[in-house]
Amino acid sequence: MVSKHFVPALFAALVFTAPALGADYQTNLGPMPLDDETKAVIAGRGDATASYDGKTFVVKGDFRGMPSNAISAHVFDSPVAGMPGNKLFDLEVTKSTSGTISGSFTLTSAQARALRTGKLYIQINSEKAPAEYPWGPKGTLWGWLFPAHETVGANIPQQDHWFLPQLDIPSR
Amino acid sequence: MRKKTGLLLGAAATIALGALGANAFGQGAAGAFTTAQVNDGRAMYDAACAGCHLPDLSGTNDAPALGGTAFMGAWGKRTTAQLYSKIATTMPLGGGGSLSEKQYTDITAYILERNGARAGTAAFTPATSVVIGSIANGRAPANRPAASTEEPDSGAARAAATAPGGTAAQVSGRQESAPASGTGNAPAGQSLFQRAMSGVRVADPGGFGLPTKFGLLLEGNIQNYVPVTDAMLRNPPDSDWLMYRRNYQGWSYSPLNQINTQNVASLQLKWMWSLPENGTLEITPLIHNGVLFIWGTSNTIQALDAKSGELLWENRLGPAPRRPGPGPSTEETRSMGLWGNNIYVNTPQGYLYALDARSGKEVWKTHITDEKKYPNNGGLVGSSTGGVIIVNGRVLVGMTNCGRKGDDNHCYISAYDARTGKRDWKFTTVALKGEKGGDTWGGLPDNERKGGETWIAGTYDPDSNTTYWGTAQAKPWRRDLRGSKDGATDWANSTIALDADTGKLKWAYNHAPGESLDLDEVFERVVVTHGDQKSILTIGKPGILWKLDARTGKFLAAKQTVFQNVYENFNEKTGAVVYRKDIHNQKVDQWLSSCPGPQGGHDWQATSYHQPSDTLIIPLSQSCVFMLGNGSQTYFEMPGTNGNNGRLSAYRTSDLKPLWSFQQRSPFLTGVVSTAGNVAFVGDFDRVFRAVDVRNGKTLWKSRLGTTVQGYPVSFSVDGKQYIAVTTGLGGGSPQNKPATLLREVHRPANGYNLFVFGLPD
Repeated sequence: MVSKHFVPALFAALVFTAPALGADYQTNLGPMPLDDETKAVIAGRGDATASYDGKTFVVKGDFRGMPSNAISAHVFDSPVAGMPGNKLFDLEVTKSTSGTISGSFTLTSAQARALRTGKLYIQINSEKAPAEYPWGPKGTLWGWLFPAHETVGANIPQQDHWFLPQLDIPSR
Repeated sequence: MRKKTGLLLGAAATIALGALGANAFGQGAAGAFTTAQVNDGRAMYDAACAGCHLPDLSGTNDAPALGGTAFMGAWGKRTTAQLYSKIATTMPLGGGGSLSEKQYTDITAYILERNGARAGTAAFTPATSVVIGSIANGRAPANRPAASTEEPDSGAARAAATAPGGTAAQVSGRQESAPASGTGNAPAGQSLFQRAMSGVRVADPGGFGLPTKFGLLLEGNIQNYVPVTDAMLRNPPDSDWLMYRRNYQGWSYSPLNQINTQNVASLQLKWMWSLPENGTLEITPLIHNGVLFIWGTSNTIQALDAKSGELLWENRLGPAPRRPGPGPSTEETRSMGLWGNNIYVNTPQGYLYALDARSGKEVWKTHITDEKKYPNNGGLVGSSTGGVIIVNGRVLVGMTNCGRKGDDNHCYISAYDARTGKRDWKFTTVALKGEKGGDTWGGLPDNERKGGETWIAGTYDPDSNTTYWGTAQAKPWRRDLRGSKDGATDWANSTIALDADTGKLKWAYNHAPGESLDLDEVFERVVVTHGDQKSILTIGKPGILWKLDARTGKFLAAKQTVFQNVYENFNEKTGAVVYRKDIHNQKVDQWLSSCPGPQGGHDWQATSYHQPSDTLIIPLSQSCVFMLGNGSQTYFEMPGTNGNNGRLSAYRTSDLKPLWSFQQRSPFLTGVVSTAGNVAFVGDFDRVFRAVDVRNGKTLWKSRLGTTVQGYPVSFSVDGKQYIAVTTGLGGGSPQNKPATLLREVHRPANGYNLFVFGLPD
């Protein structure tokens, strides 16, 4: 997204350590866009990781606390993080309010580029999430797969530079 | 963005939900509601809605337009049942579900009528489901319906609205929907509204009493008051806090060092004072010579003994907040000012007062637009919420509520003789035709150039006699509704440098040309000197930290501090911005993603410049929105933040190097104060007030207070002892609304407007 920062981004990528699982990408799944009316049915939390070895893209994760049962989960491709996009793959998902997601896929070069540049996201849909919004249908949890980076607990300071997607993810 | 999908979904909704059929009430046909409902609805709308959405439904700030093109763009393809559901579950702000079904149906009927739908014989009910665009066209009939004479029965409504088995209120007046893992399993076939209404919920934040008595309630007689001089304002005594950010340069830095990193862990409460409840509290206490001055809601001005907390005088200027409970973002003031023997107060209603600081008596009073009225009883033009700065014997004040499209009103900064209240100069913050920047509005006539509000008080550089202000965005927010095409809309979202004596423009820099998403660049302008280079540092809602040459306005540097996706390209070397294509090509019925959203990034919770270490400490928020043309929004967590809505970050101002940062779930709802003891204080949405080490961000002390810690903390000393003061309170716009919705696990009482003063043990 901001190519001028590729060199510092590369440096930052070397500095940031991968999480214990050794995955290449990580995301925290949070509620999709909501307001006071829809937050009753759009809620929950999850985590997911993904790895890509140049051939196989493997996704796994878990979710919990949704107000209704999951009905499907997918990998999407977005124009930029925070914008909804197009469905790419279907994931296996536990049809419950808590459970796991998983899937293994072959990526085209364009999809691999999207992964590398932080444009792929995971979305979990649930029974009661409203269908009337364009970014649905039934969207409940989502999260963007960003390159693995250090995360610390609440109120624990990080010194010097810290992960910012537009600065630390390659733009191409 | 997904127009086709939206149309398909809208059509599907019509087919699936059309209880009365999409063709039953075509445009021009009669019938989705009755005249009686419209008349009752007008009364209820005026009582419960007009304060934020305005009598003409044009909306303001965080209250979307409920009429016209903007409304139809947001709601034309959706149904009347969906509109009812949205209103009934979320409104009034902080009191969703608190009115009766009749009141909500009446309000919905009124809104539809004001958008051209016609009355008939069939009453509107929550189940009435017609595509709004099939019965309304956004054009209000010429005559406003006669308001019902029946009093809105809000007391009975509250009682009726309590669900069976509903529990007592515990959240700040907002309706608590069913817990995510709780009893939200509504039967199939229920509407979203009905699902939201099931389970534990809050219908009523509790009974609030609004004050009815105004005036000088306690006259003071402060002895040996030392007049505040221009020299004092240029070089404030270490013990005092005489203005908004303590010094003209906007630092919010105290040179006191008695409280430091070694002993702050033993900080204890010394005294507290309960402030008036209701409304919006985002104030800066002022302290001079052992007297603490504070503004409370209802424009209640109080002087207290800063050491003991004893009340010395109180003048309740009024009016009371429009309704009980937490208020909107238009009903606060953020600072007062001291000069001579007076204290100067700007009120959200647009009045500027001088009160005698010794007694509380009124010395003079004026209005920033001389009480100019909108037509059709629309109230007064001109509000003021940012506070004042006093320079060379003049009180400088900003302005909001600056007119409607088509009228001849504009926002301006104005200066008043501190002795008499006479207006000395004013500077209009939108560039008009023929002026510098006047060719940046896409050819719009002057009476359509709106916005550029100044809702944060300016700063000042005595060396150059220049005052620096930030301006808000052009209005309407969305460029497709505004009609400004690709125009930069100078001087909205700009830094403005004015001669403090004449108000003449020295220079201006537009940070966000043609901006469209309520991403103000209006906040504090901090003046910092490195050798011969004097710079202005500021950070707006997009979270970009800007550095400009204070003398010329030339761009020097910038740094992105949070994730943002609004600019497809942001050049940190030149400051040039390129909007995302869909933002540039926006349509009024199109949802646009905005990271950050209107909570920011950065908002009114001001930075602190810790001068000894050249560190700027910045409270940041991390949330995003999808936004429609009328301002309707849905919210989501910023990607890459693990749901942490709050961030506190520190940057070295000489080179904008990031120094440290930490995140937490709750955003910070106070400014930061830093001290020579290397400690910085900040408070948050979840009631925590904490001290951190300026050098590394480590928390050294914290205390859990009664409700959201909100306002501007300060530090002062009396008789050689240093104190830290901060307020707790509620009300406001996006900084309150976004986390109140997103952080469902945070519970706060709907009251608790207090002043806390902390110090070291004796």
